[in-house]
Amino acid sequence: MTASASADLGALRDVLKAAVAPGSERDVERYDIDGATPGAAFEPGNREDLATLVRLADEHGLAVVPQGARTSLALGRPLAGYDLAVDLGGLRQTVEYVPDDLTVTVEAGRRLGALQAELREHGQYLPIDVPPNDDVTIGGLLATARPGFWRGHLPAARDLILGIEVCLPTGGTVRSGGRVVKNVTGYDLHRLHTGALGAFGVIVEATFKVAPYPEASRTLVAKAPNLEAATALALRTWDASPVLRALTVLTSSAARLAGLEAAPQVLVELAGAKRAIDRSATDLASIAPFVDAPAGAWGALRRAQGDSERTVVRAGVAPTATRTLLERIDQAGGTGWTNIAPGAVVAILPEPTAEAIESLRSEAERLGGFLQVESAPAELRRQVAPSPGDTVLVEALRDRFDAKRTINRGRWGAVL
Amino acid sequence: MPTNDTGPTNDPGSLIRELQEALGASNVLHEPEDLVVYEYDATIERSLPDVVVFPATAEDVAAAVRLAVKYDLPVVPRGSGTGLSGGAVPIKGGILIVMTRMNRILEIDADNRVAVVQPGVINLHLQNALAEYGLLYAPDPSSQRVCTIGGNIANNSGGPHTLAHGSTVNHILGLEVVLPDGRIVRLGGRVPDAPGVDLRGLFVGSEGTLGIVTEATLRLVRQAPATRTLLAIFDSVAAASEAVSTVIRRGVIPVAMEMLDQEIIRIVEPRIHAGYPLDAGAVLLIEVEGVPDGVAADSAVVEQACRDTGAREVRSADEAEERERLWEGRKAAIGAIGGAAPAFYLLDGVVPRTKLPEVMTQVLELCREYGFACGNVFHAGDGNLHPNIMFDPTIPGATERVLELGGAIMRACVDAGGSVTGEHGIGLEKRSYMEWVFSEADLDAQRSVREAFGPADRFNPCKVLPGGHGCASGHASEVMQHLGAGSYV
Repeated sequence: MTASASADLGALRDVLKAAVAPGSERDVERYDIDGATPGAAFEPGNREDLATLVRLADEHGLAVVPQGARTSLALGRPLAGYDLAVDLGGLRQTVEYVPDDLTVTVEAGRRLGALQAELREHGQYLPIDVPPNDDVTIGGLLATARPGFWRGHLPAARDLILGIEVCLPTGGTVRSGGRVVKNVTGYDLHRLHTGALGAFGVIVEATFKVAPYPEASRTLVAKAPNLEAATALALRTWDASPVLRALTVLTSSAARLAGLEAAPQVLVELAGAKRAIDRSATDLASIAPFVDAPAGAWGALRRAQGDSERTVVRAGVAPTATRTLLERIDQAGGTGWTNIAPGAVVAILPEPTAEAIESLRSEAERLGGFLQVESAPAELRRQVAPSPGDTVLVEALRDRFDAKRTINRGRWGAVL
Repeated sequence: MPTNDTGPTNDPGSLIRELQEALGASNVLHEPEDLVVYEYDATIERSLPDVVVFPATAEDVAAAVRLAVKYDLPVVPRGSGTGLSGGAVPIKGGILIVMTRMNRILEIDADNRVAVVQPGVINLHLQNALAEYGLLYAPDPSSQRVCTIGGNIANNSGGPHTLAHGSTVNHILGLEVVLPDGRIVRLGGRVPDAPGVDLRGLFVGSEGTLGIVTEATLRLVRQAPATRTLLAIFDSVAAASEAVSTVIRRGVIPVAMEMLDQEIIRIVEPRIHAGYPLDAGAVLLIEVEGVPDGVAADSAVVEQACRDTGAREVRSADEAEERERLWEGRKAAIGAIGGAAPAFYLLDGVVPRTKLPEVMTQVLELCREYGFACGNVFHAGDGNLHPNIMFDPTIPGATERVLELGGAIMRACVDAGGSVTGEHGIGLEKRSYMEWVFSEADLDAQRSVREAFGPADRFNPCKVLPGGHGCASGHASEVMQHLGAGSYV
């Protein structure tokens, strides 16, 4: 990767610096991505400065990488250019929170953990768990849309988002959706931006539907003789409880990582009204010897999945087909788990090669699904990173929203 | 985009012949007496298509679209025609593609909670087929006895149970669609969170302006082991509205919270005998579900919240038949209004839940000011209003005033921080209101999306976005130009 306008960057840096509030410039060393350092870095303290930076970058052909907590920068293809780091950390306000409406509007740089603490004061939360932890920013979790353990039991970010404001490379900001929980006014551009890795603009603000914080939660675990039995038990568990918040099959090494006995395990989280949880736990005990487990098991797995130093892949197949993939990962010495409801198989690969990942992807596709590299060294991602979907449509959209490929250049591939 | 080598042709005879060759003669209607059946949907808008086709496969749809390109004609998709915003009206003529022949449930994968269906499947038919597996497809628009899954996808339809389960977009895993250039592509898949840009999420709710759905992969949910329906009776809409917020504030999200006001109760009860007291100011129908112990706990919270906000009585039903009876009044309400007034205009607006009491007061005041009876039956838990303005269109000037009143109510929703549609869509009806909600830059971004999928006047022209070549300029003119005496609005 090269800086695309490096020859002029010294002069441009002064232009950028003069255009925004004093004190916004940051040390570029803090913004290294895949070994590359940008020519300039800024942390705008307001939306106008953000829009100015992005517009000037676009005008001068600079490649901009917006970033928040920097936890998912190894997702997608390696960048094809990196001139300007734009840190969204300066935009971290809660814009509006109406507990009785179950809606909250926040700026993109707000950390999920800070938001959850604010919501918790009113007995509510944003029911999203993402790797590696709640340090992620709202903009980051939307742009990457990485699912966690609650996926399939609770709505995901792309379901909870009600509206968005994004900054376009042309410098303007545009909105879609709104601040009400049910709304079909116009095209849902907020869903387009969710998981788009910034392809159509820099997320500035988002509105979400929040939920009551559950009265209680409880983590249970049951050991199984092998992954086949564990998966079968998990599928029965899926049918047996309506208060599941997570349902995961762990390989032995994943169980060890979670602080549990190193054996195939079914890890369950129940959440809701205490009476409902107690009743559900009793029901589950009748189908397998579930015992209470430390809730910290989830955090350990989440941190491991979000560790960008590791090579992590996530496959998606039908829940009943997950066993095949999980067994294969286990036999290859990987650490893996299956989130049953969304059919998500997560694997941490010990000695990853492009061939091994492609082979696993072929198997996922043979089973009717997909495989995504969530983090890996740049060279590996260059070889196996996913396609953006229908390239013709995505390119046509990108042409209209970011014709010069100013934002996150190359993360969806060369053309995009 | 494929180009038309020979340029557009205007020979309608050769278009009909080519469509007949591609789809079969019996699947192409072009005689005036046949076309007239397809000039309207559930609104009053009327406009004749040039030709109506009934495809059986995605390839049929693609063939029709390619011919539309060749003859430079608009394409308008249509399901059962139950839309309430004029979305299926071929306002500029062209080829109307009716999807009702593609009505097969292709697969129910109960173990993985997935169904694959063609777009012409009736929502209720799917629900009935899923019941034997103990599964359901959550979106349940009030028109579910007739509306199609494809229409639901086009409008991102909701329904009473949207409160807990979300709208259609939350239940669509994947789509096969025919794009405006005739390409057949798949968006999403059989499992969620596939890598790539979420074109599926963008497509749902695009009202037939970006393409036509030819197959849908749906996420199913397991039926809850226990369900309880509560009927809470209040002296006023304001008290019932306060109860809605109080329930939410106490940490319970019922699966449905529906309100019927006094006007509606007085229309519905004599016809349906659902047991709603005629002297009630409003009733709330509230449903909770889950494991039996959880349902009992949540019901207790709901009941107390209702009593604390002035409910004079709270009834509850656990058995299916009993619950169904309580729901019957809600489900039959719109039909009952049809029998009680010469015509009525069903509105769809949405406000923040906490603004419900204030906006409902405004709605009733506006109706009084304009001199029309107005019944309200709506999704209170979502803040999704459905005022039904009753009027006699044979009285000179009445229809114009009703439309003006509708606009004033929509404006009140927007001013309260809400929007102009929660589930019926923009269609033709509300294009001009889009400017109340979005800036010109916002609308330009939406136009860019439309252009990325194809020429803006190819698929469902004059829908969703204001402006457009040859489209009428404002709501009143769009509605009025096709209004006839005695029309149902």
